[in-house]
Amino acid sequence: MSSDERDLEGDPEPVVDADDVPEIEEGRYLYCLVRADENAALEIEGIDGEPVSILVEDGIGAVVHACEGIYDSADLAQVKRWLVRHQTVIDEASERFGTPIPFQFDTILRGDDERVREWIDGERATLERALSGLADHWEYRVEVVEVDPVDDEALIERDDRLQELRAKIDDSEEGTAFLLEKKLEQRLAAVRANRRESATDDLEQRLASEAREVHSLERSPSASLSDEVADDGDDGDGGETLCRLTLLAHEDDEGAIGSILDDVAATDGLEVRFTGPWPPYTFAPELGGDGTEGSGS
Amino acid sequence: MKPRNDEDALVDLLDVVLRDGAILRADVIVSVADVPLVGIKLSAAIAGMETMTEYGLFEKWDVDRRARAVERRRYGRASEDGTESITVNGRERDELE
Repeated sequence: MSSDERDLEGDPEPVVDADDVPEIEEGRYLYCLVRADENAALEIEGIDGEPVSILVEDGIGAVVHACEGIYDSADLAQVKRWLVRHQTVIDEASERFGTPIPFQFDTILRGDDERVREWIDGERATLERALSGLADHWEYRVEVVEVDPVDDEALIERDDRLQELRAKIDDSEEGTAFLLEKKLEQRLAAVRANRRESATDDLEQRLASEAREVHSLERSPSASLSDEVADDGDDGDGGETLCRLTLLAHEDDEGAIGSILDDVAATDGLEVRFTGPWPPYTFAPELGGDGTEGSGS
Repeated sequence: MKPRNDEDALVDLLDVVLRDGAILRADVIVSVADVPLVGIKLSAAIAGMETMTEYGLFEKWDVDRRARAVERRRYGRASEDGTESITVNGRERDELE
């Protein structure tokens, strides 16, 4: 639709022909699934101001809005607004109906309301299982940052092998010393990695006793979307991230998890970022992929 | 400590909203070759930030589609610079085929 109106001269991105994007005509943008009664209602503005509704089929409600195409833009600020809206709608639904099965952004079901109901019916067993499994559980995210990373000298002091290398370097000729320096650097990197790993393992184990699931994430966020759009609220990036974890936990265990993190935060030089409760995005199931209707190409 | 879910915390969550969440694999979803449809411009913009590879979901499908889109453009209009190689996701287009 809009792609042909745009002046693409000099645009570095590949141009997408209008006919390259599948037409939907009628579709339903899916925010989340919740347990709801027949007469449940939800009044909230969705992505791009679309009116959101809840379609209930025998106890399971799909929070949707009618749409005719996917949401796509190279403008990250725009994308961010969509994502925030997506999350806000799910948040509102969660508050009203309890833990949802949140969908990934831009999940669209082809068809009308009736099609959504049919789909719920077709997937009922899976959806029931997922909703019961997630009931009263939320996703929490934890990031531990070493605000004041230990310097090399302190590490050398605590490690025999490093001390040995340091002594050898001092006694060696220039060439040998150079090679030993390299070794020292490698060893330092290994020692640092080790410290991170054992700190992470330890924390993971402690959290696992309270949370239902704990996953370790990459140390740096996998996409720089947030950096890109959130260049204002930078809260002192000075440190080194020790670990990032995501947990699925019962809401009643939130306090116990907070206490474990208090312990960590009490350690000198460590800062803990604890966010949530979020809809269980990371723990949401893959639907319709269990070969029920052989959707292979 | 108590978890935070204020504006600041939400910003971090946006990546998760984009990447995670329930995925439909049913044939009813708008999808191409079983991969849920994700915006081309959006994934391209993210690719521009060199984080494409983290988006396992986008990757295969998107690379193929972008390559096709590039091809169409090349046939559609004479390129100003015929010798320039086109890079998709850090790889030469030819390597993708």
